[in-house]
Amino acid sequence: MEEIKLSAQPEHKTHQVLFTGNTKDYFGIWTVNCLLSILTLGIYSAWATVRTKQYFYGHTSIDGHRFNYLATPMQILKGRIIAFAIFALYITLSTYSPAMAVAFFLIWAAAIPWLINQSLRFNLRMTSHRNVRFGFKGSYLDALTHFVLLPIVGALSLYIAMPWVMKKIDTYIHNNIEYGNKALKVELSAGRYYGAVLRCLIVVIGFGVISAIIAGVMGSFGDPGSLGVAMVFISLGFNFLAISLLAGIYQSKIRNHIFANAQLEDVATFESKLDTVEYSLLLATNALAIIFSLGLAFPWTKIRKAKMLAAATTITLSENAEQVIEVYRESQSSLAEEAANVFDVDISLT
Amino acid sequence: MKILGTLYPAGSSKAVTCSAVVFDSKLMLNHEGGKQESYDFASTVLGEPILGQSQEITFGAGSRFLPEDVKFRWPTKRKRLKLVEKLEQNLFAVLGAIILSPILIYGILFKAVPEFAVQTYDLVPNAVVQEMGEQSMFAIEKAVLEPTTLSAKEQQIVTKLWDDSLQKLSLPADQFKLSFYQSDFFGANAFALPHGQIVVTDDLVKSMQEHPLALQAVLLHEIGHVEKQHSIRMAAQAAAGAIAFAMIFGDLEGFAEVLLGTGSTILQQRFSQDMEKEADEYALQHMKQHGIDPKEFAKALEIIVEQAGIELENDKEGAWSKYLSTHPSIKSRIEYANAF
Repeated sequence: MEEIKLSAQPEHKTHQVLFTGNTKDYFGIWTVNCLLSILTLGIYSAWATVRTKQYFYGHTSIDGHRFNYLATPMQILKGRIIAFAIFALYITLSTYSPAMAVAFFLIWAAAIPWLINQSLRFNLRMTSHRNVRFGFKGSYLDALTHFVLLPIVGALSLYIAMPWVMKKIDTYIHNNIEYGNKALKVELSAGRYYGAVLRCLIVVIGFGVISAIIAGVMGSFGDPGSLGVAMVFISLGFNFLAISLLAGIYQSKIRNHIFANAQLEDVATFESKLDTVEYSLLLATNALAIIFSLGLAFPWTKIRKAKMLAAATTITLSENAEQVIEVYRESQSSLAEEAANVFDVDISLT
Repeated sequence: MKILGTLYPAGSSKAVTCSAVVFDSKLMLNHEGGKQESYDFASTVLGEPILGQSQEITFGAGSRFLPEDVKFRWPTKRKRLKLVEKLEQNLFAVLGAIILSPILIYGILFKAVPEFAVQTYDLVPNAVVQEMGEQSMFAIEKAVLEPTTLSAKEQQIVTKLWDDSLQKLSLPADQFKLSFYQSDFFGANAFALPHGQIVVTDDLVKSMQEHPLALQAVLLHEIGHVEKQHSIRMAAQAAAGAIAFAMIFGDLEGFAEVLLGTGSTILQQRFSQDMEKEADEYALQHMKQHGIDPKEFAKALEIIVEQAGIELENDKEGAWSKYLSTHPSIKSRIEYANAF
């Protein structure tokens, strides 16, 4: 052995996250997924999900090792069938008997914290890197506190406490993530959340002022009939730009903040340098492209976004990255994940 | 054939450079360090073959081997794996999918789902219809209705028109019910509930005091909604549509978002436009049959529009608002009634 250790500190190496997918390939996958799902009245959508997830996971790599999506189509199909049966029951009940629908809704509301946890758990357990799975260890009570009680507190405070609530929610999600036997730790600052929300507010006010001026100018001439239609379109486009800009500001600031303050004990630290303006423009042009292409640009928008997110991200690994031990757990059911999907409970990790 | 790649042993994040060789039904792995392993090919699990990614293979104990070459595919007899990947790269298949998908969706949502709804709404038991109507009425009453301010005499005039209408239609009086309410939310309007209850607002009665036959036309239109079971059809349609959507698009990202926004709302609007036309037709037919001038129906619409403060002139706006409005362009309905 010639290698000489210069210090007792483990060696660290910074890696750029790579995304190698391209629009052409994903376009083919997406269109075939759509057609086969329709032709099989939805059954193929379980296979479609696996192919889509694996496309994005497998094309994302760190230090030459790609991510893997481990769920099998049958797992997803089973979960989906049960979730679908519950959904069909709910729709039927709610159209024919509003009272039964209320009862169902209450049961559903009680199950939401559990569903959120299960959904996060399933998605993370089905993700692996270097043959070690991710995991999630949140409890029902914690989820109830963070996803139900705190948002109520936020609303009662007239939304003044909302940024702090968002910080608590992100902390809950990320502090419960595991990679093998290593836990992720984040230390988030409420100040950053207030900063991001404040920037969003300034944009909202700015847009309000500008649209008031435009409305004033347009209102002073022209005939009211055709102006009405023009105004509808202009304000729609405006709203749309404002929403993309808001999402861009908030998501980029918060993502950068979370990555900078997260670490996988002894294994990895993260950095995200997502540019707010670039990211907002990407979201706005993506939404426009989807609308004007009648949906056909969807694969292009997804690939573009994945590329930008990967390019903005670096990960510093210690030599311990090879020492993570897989933790075996009970097998996972995709029911909650599918129920969450079909009822449109969206939980996304920033 | 030597396959270069990386072995990820089960249980840890280690990665070992390896080469693999497939012989008949065996797979031999040669570690960089010289170690050798042999696996039964039949007991392995192949990963999804995805464009631009090499295909992984998982051994019984959970270790995985990932070839270096992104085009590499393991030999397999499973046709699904090969076929799907071929389709995804085939220009004609992709073009076909782009053209066929929207056509099929149109067929399912605008043909199959309504057809299914029409087939099933007859199966809804009467008790459910009754319950549905009463519960909806309860909710509407709580939310947007107040007790009527009409005098007993004013009510009596309308009740007389109502009794006369039911008699003309030879419908049993005990299956229908007329109610009066004051409502700022509805303004001058009337609506029907599936169990045969018809609500008229004070504003409507007051605005039509000079035109009793126009008010009768409105009552006939609402009875038409009940007789044609529109609420139940609408409910069955909405339920079937939502279920079909959930089934097919459980997770087709993008596609569902594009369609959910526009498709399902247009679908519902269209359904209710057809229903309004049907109820109009019902009212007009019976008016003609019993010697009431169809122009009274046009008069009723004009009064309602006037009360709502909408100028007929504004109704000429483009096709957009026409397609998206629940009521078919009121102007065309008025013209239709006048020409009936």
